[in-house]
Amino acid sequence: MLTIEGVDVFRGETQVLWGIDLTVADAERVAILGSNGAGKSSLMAAITGLLVPRKGTVRLRERSLTGLKPHQITHLGIALVPEGRRVYKGMSVRENLEMGAFPRRGRPRLKETLDRVLNLFPALGRRMNQGAGTLSGGEQQMLAIGRALMSRPELLLIDELSLGLAPRVTKEIYAALDGLGAETTVLLVEQNVELALKHSGRAYIVESGRITGQGRSTDLMNDPNIRRAYLGM
Amino acid sequence: MFALALTNGLVIGIVYALTALGVSLVVGIMNVINFAHGEFYILAGYFSYLFAHTLGMDPLAAMLIAVAGVFVLGLVVEYTLIRPTYGDDMYSLILTFILSIVLQSIYLLVFGPYPNKPPGWVKGATDIFGLFFYGNQRLAALGAGVAVIALFFAMLKLTWFGRMIRAASQDREMAELNGIDTTRLNMFGFGLGCALAAAAGVILAPVFPVTPTAGTPIALTAFVCVVLGGMGSMSGCVLGGLVLGVVENLGAAYVSTGYKHLFMFLILILVLLIRPAGLFGRREA
Ligand SMILES: Nc1ncnc2c1ncn2[C@@H]1O[C@H](COP(=O)(O)OP(=O)(O)OP(=O)(O)O)[C@@H](O)[C@H]1O
Ligand SMILES: [Mg+2]
Repeated sequence: MLTIEGVDVFRGETQVLWGIDLTVADAERVAILGSNGAGKSSLMAAITGLLVPRKGTVRLRERSLTGLKPHQITHLGIALVPEGRRVYKGMSVRENLEMGAFPRRGRPRLKETLDRVLNLFPALGRRMNQGAGTLSGGEQQMLAIGRALMSRPELLLIDELSLGLAPRVTKEIYAALDGLGAETTVLLVEQNVELALKHSGRAYIVESGRITGQGRSTDLMNDPNIRRAYLGM
Repeated sequence: MFALALTNGLVIGIVYALTALGVSLVVGIMNVINFAHGEFYILAGYFSYLFAHTLGMDPLAAMLIAVAGVFVLGLVVEYTLIRPTYGDDMYSLILTFILSIVLQSIYLLVFGPYPNKPPGWVKGATDIFGLFFYGNQRLAALGAGVAVIALFFAMLKLTWFGRMIRAASQDREMAELNGIDTTRLNMFGFGLGCALAAAAGVILAPVFPVTPTAGTPIALTAFVCVVLGGMGSMSGCVLGGLVLGVVENLGAAYVSTGYKHLFMFLILILVLLIRPAGLFGRREA
């Protein structure tokens, strides 16, 4: 579904990613691991068009995303849950979700998708007319994910799902993601390595802007180096 | 005298609010301050004079065409002058400032220095609760101003375009990620901002005729409204307009007309001392 080949990304004049190769197949759950400043968010930005790679290609189902603006990439079926959630605080929960359905692929099915999202996150259903700024951190993350799902994406990108959330809420959200089904492919960035490996089939390790490891999540979980570096064991 | 000054203040205040909404809209969406905002107001006044008086069109039709004309001009200005400056707010500031001077000169050349006044929509005056007689044209202006503001707010709340505007004003990048072509939104947002100035212009021009330079104090007042109400708050902007209009007219009635702008700035300084983010402003972290 997603193919990234030899991608170099710069922020201004500073290079932040070097020769990234990464693939995500249909219906897969893939995690990206890495410490602070490794370049995980920059990679998300390169996929969604917020940062333009200087070298290499990003393709979605054989269609090159080179030269496309972020809104055009969204219309093709990629949705991002950004780091820090970035819900529209001045708008109601309902309006936030409706904004997510703005792309043509989401709008005709708005009602149906809304039901599905509220089914996934019942907490949102009780707060539909409340301002998004009044939600708790966990609810805002649910809203951010719900908003992304409203566009009926083929590929869902989630940056820092559990950051700043209580373990109970994190568990709830992961359970909801596990229930998404094969229709939505997920690429997620997660600080909590244990969680990330538990809820993904494969994972990539990013260090200082380069991919330094990859493999099946179950294998990585048992890899002594990984355990020492990321799980503190 | 108080009731009269208050009514005058409300009429002017609504028109200030309408003008200021245009500024607030453009600042919110694209972070651009349009120094030529007042000149778009004036242009609409001239247009409606031209269409209704010179060409003899129906005043209402003339007004609508005037507003539409300014809207289209706004689109062109965004496309040609503002769009190339994205990423550097300073350039758009300077460019719109130059544009305002250029437009003033053109008005002077075409229409001359004398005030021009489009025909009124209604005649006569109404007895207000037995207190005083008030010109029907001014009452009609008040009604029209309220109607346009109500329409604008309904548009923001109920339409996709309105939601796009609100989303982009809060988080441009996120709005783009939600599939909004923010470059195009800028163009239409700028056009709409100019159209709001134009609506204010055609509404007030039959009462206060337009001159080539009358746009400057109007834009100035609009900027003060926006700051007074709180940057980014549309309802604050309307309140700011009403406060300014009323204070200005009470001041003129009880102190002196000469200090109009002094009152305005006193109010501004006072409010900013007490609430630095403006009346309805959210303080950003
Ligand atoms: N807006 C920015 N401007 C310039 N440099 C940036 C910007 N954001 C991040 N960087 C730099 O780019 C590099 C990669 O940052 P990025 O945010 O992609 O890392 P990350 O893996 O997502 O980190 P985190 O875990 O902290 O979110 C870092 O060296 C960072 O300092
Ligand atoms: Mg990050």
